[in-house]
Amino acid sequence: MNYLVTEGFKEAAIKFQQEAGLQEPALCSSLDERIMIREAVQSGRIPEAIAMVNALHPELLDNDRYLYFHLQQLQLLELIRAGRAEEALSFASATLAEAGASDRAALAELERSLALLAFPDPHASPFADLLLPAHSQKIASELNAAILKMENQEYTNPKLCSLLRMILWSQSELDKHNVKYPKMTDLANATIEQPK
Amino acid sequence: MQQLTIFMDIESSRSYIDELYSSEAAKTQEALVTLKNSVIGSNRQKSSVIQQGIVPRLLQLMSDEEIDPNIRLEATITIGSLAKGTAENVNSLVEQGAALALVELLRTVPIGTKLIEAALCALRSIFLHPPAPITTLPADMMLLSRLTQIAREGTPTARACVVRILSIWCGGPLEQEALCAAGACGAAAALLSSRSTPPPARALPALDLLAAMCFENASVSHTAMNTKHGEKTIPELLTFLVSRDKPLPVALGAARCLTFIHRAGALPSDDNRVVFGALPCLARLCTKDMPEDIRATAAETLAYLAEVDTSLQRLAAISNHLMSSLAEIVNCPSAAAKQGAFKCFASLGANDEDIRKRIIETHGLMVHVVNGMNNPEPTVRLAAVRCLHSLSRSVQQLRTTFQDHAVWRPLMQLLNDSPGNELLTVGSSTLCNLLLEFSPAKEPMLDQGAVEMLCNLTKRPEAALRLNGIWALMNMAFQAEQKVKQRILCCLGTEQMFRLLGDSDTRVIMKTLGLLRNLLSTRQHIDAIMGEYSSQVMQAVIVVLEGSYPAEVKEQALCILGNIGDGEKAKDLIMANEDVLRKLVDYLAHPESKLQEAALFVAGNLVWRGEAGAAARQARLADLGVLRALKLLYARHDAKHLHDKVTTALAQFNEFT
Repeated sequence: MNYLVTEGFKEAAIKFQQEAGLQEPALCSSLDERIMIREAVQSGRIPEAIAMVNALHPELLDNDRYLYFHLQQLQLLELIRAGRAEEALSFASATLAEAGASDRAALAELERSLALLAFPDPHASPFADLLLPAHSQKIASELNAAILKMENQEYTNPKLCSLLRMILWSQSELDKHNVKYPKMTDLANATIEQPK
Repeated sequence: MQQLTIFMDIESSRSYIDELYSSEAAKTQEALVTLKNSVIGSNRQKSSVIQQGIVPRLLQLMSDEEIDPNIRLEATITIGSLAKGTAENVNSLVEQGAALALVELLRTVPIGTKLIEAALCALRSIFLHPPAPITTLPADMMLLSRLTQIAREGTPTARACVVRILSIWCGGPLEQEALCAAGACGAAAALLSSRSTPPPARALPALDLLAAMCFENASVSHTAMNTKHGEKTIPELLTFLVSRDKPLPVALGAARCLTFIHRAGALPSDDNRVVFGALPCLARLCTKDMPEDIRATAAETLAYLAEVDTSLQRLAAISNHLMSSLAEIVNCPSAAAKQGAFKCFASLGANDEDIRKRIIETHGLMVHVVNGMNNPEPTVRLAAVRCLHSLSRSVQQLRTTFQDHAVWRPLMQLLNDSPGNELLTVGSSTLCNLLLEFSPAKEPMLDQGAVEMLCNLTKRPEAALRLNGIWALMNMAFQAEQKVKQRILCCLGTEQMFRLLGDSDTRVIMKTLGLLRNLLSTRQHIDAIMGEYSSQVMQAVIVVLEGSYPAEVKEQALCILGNIGDGEKAKDLIMANEDVLRKLVDYLAHPESKLQEAALFVAGNLVWRGEAGAAARQARLADLGVLRALKLLYARHDAKHLHDKVTTALAQFNEFT
């Protein structure tokens, strides 16, 4: 349930709540907005996403300039993907340069993004990963977590993810020490094998 | 709806800025939203729009009670965003009256609305930029009551904001009393209580406010002790928060509150909440795996907690390997960390010799102390000297470690380098202690201008500094070589000495006489000094004997006289002064025992048979009634303890007088 709410699967969450007979009012107030914001980011409609975030939590992007930079970076990547090189350069110098000047990590990422312009086919360049949907999904999750943190939610990552990571880590530690234990060999089906 | 373009450059921004002044509400609102979206996240944009002069218009829209509340809200949010810019941005806002306007808003806008929340967020952002415009918040009871009401009844964000603002605003006793009267203790308690741990964003401002209110204020601290939220009192809430499982800044904040409440006098030092609550928490927060900023504040708070109480010092010294933790903190790069650690060492070593020994044995500490005295940050230098001061109270250390590390050199350098009053006071006290021991270091110290510096100290308006100056000179003169004594006398001058003998602080007078006494020891020195300064010295002694000084002061004067009486040629100076001799007779009969004894010491030296010219002296003294006085003294019931000395004195006289 926590996973569905945190990641924004509203219909699934409602269905799940009904089917499992859960009482908890886990559908917190910002679920709708977070869903729309995530969609906007992943579709490349960045100014729209920023406007929605500002309407929901006006202090968020001022407090987290690095996040703001990542959103601006996505905008830049949209321009590069669309082949609008000159606009991309003007945009970079007008808006992104500010963050790059104050934060070294941001500067490095900015340089990588602009380097795409040096290649006739950006998708074939060493930095092509920036243009993949996985990148904008990552930023969308970052933004989602920031919103949840602002609302004082304790878990900004779904508990399920942390649980999975914990299982993998503890199993590897036990293996290192050659301990016999009932091991979960198939994570997707949660199959547990008894020790031989 | 205006097209959301990719970015705004300066030219296109002008168009929507003009719309801010439109008479149509819809256009104004649209323009505000566009403006807001352009400034959030970009300091450059913030500076640009401020330069274009829109702040007055924003304030106007924000404060106008007639217009659409949505417009007021967007204008306030925009001001809030501008307040998250650079220091210049914030200064600009304050200069144009933003803080005042926001405070006015707080008086009238209903609690629980988004508008008041936005106003508080904006005001908090302004206050977080030092220097906070505290004058914009007057200490009037109506306003403060409103603010504490918001702190109890507002939205979570509003409550956290208002408490944060008040914690910064609370700068002294005036604000502390006003806040207490307005119920701020109760509001803070409300934010601290919760079935589980309150989230740090809510708890930290409340803890900071409580600390600011209780600092050095006994009445507020007592009120805090008795304030409840639900079933729990504030001390109970704080004790809950200092435990191991709480987030570090929260535990630190709670321990700090308990510390301030104790130091203000509302919690005794043996109370469980101090001994088992605050103290172990702070010691734990000093350990190596804690973040540096936490350790720095924890060390400084612990220093304050244990500053004056020996039992707490002893307890802290055995807590959780504190010594080694502090040694690590001294090694940290930041000034705050070094300062905290030195101060903590200073507190721990203030009174207990065993603790001092352990501190010195802490690996490499003296090197750190010397380095600390050379640190570019003045706060670190001061803290290092405080540490040195505590350690200098150990005679053993003076004789061993301090010699090895020549600590006097950087100390002299600091004292000669136009130090502030605090450094001067602590530094000169330390110098005083360093000079107590006979050490080869005394001479090089002279070359560094120690005498001149100390003589100058005796001229300061602050009694503590005058005392340190003259005390250090007194210690310096003890068993010193003649040239050192000459240097002191020459530099201080008899005029200054007379002034000091008339000082408003009795301790200064005592130490001045002590200096004289130390100067006038060893025969050759006595004769040499009296050869040059006899009239001034005699005059000084008479001034004290004649004046209305307390008995212990007069005793010192008589002892000086006694020392003079030991000098070969100097004896004659006393004999030649009939005034003094008559006083001697009086004092032999004085009701105060210590004065009798001192006078006896003088008489004893003067009549000593083994010295040349004794017979003549004895005759003269007998003439003036000294012999008779001695016999009377012998017969007194309350002077039995002086019998032996009186007998010896009487025995000096020849049979037939």
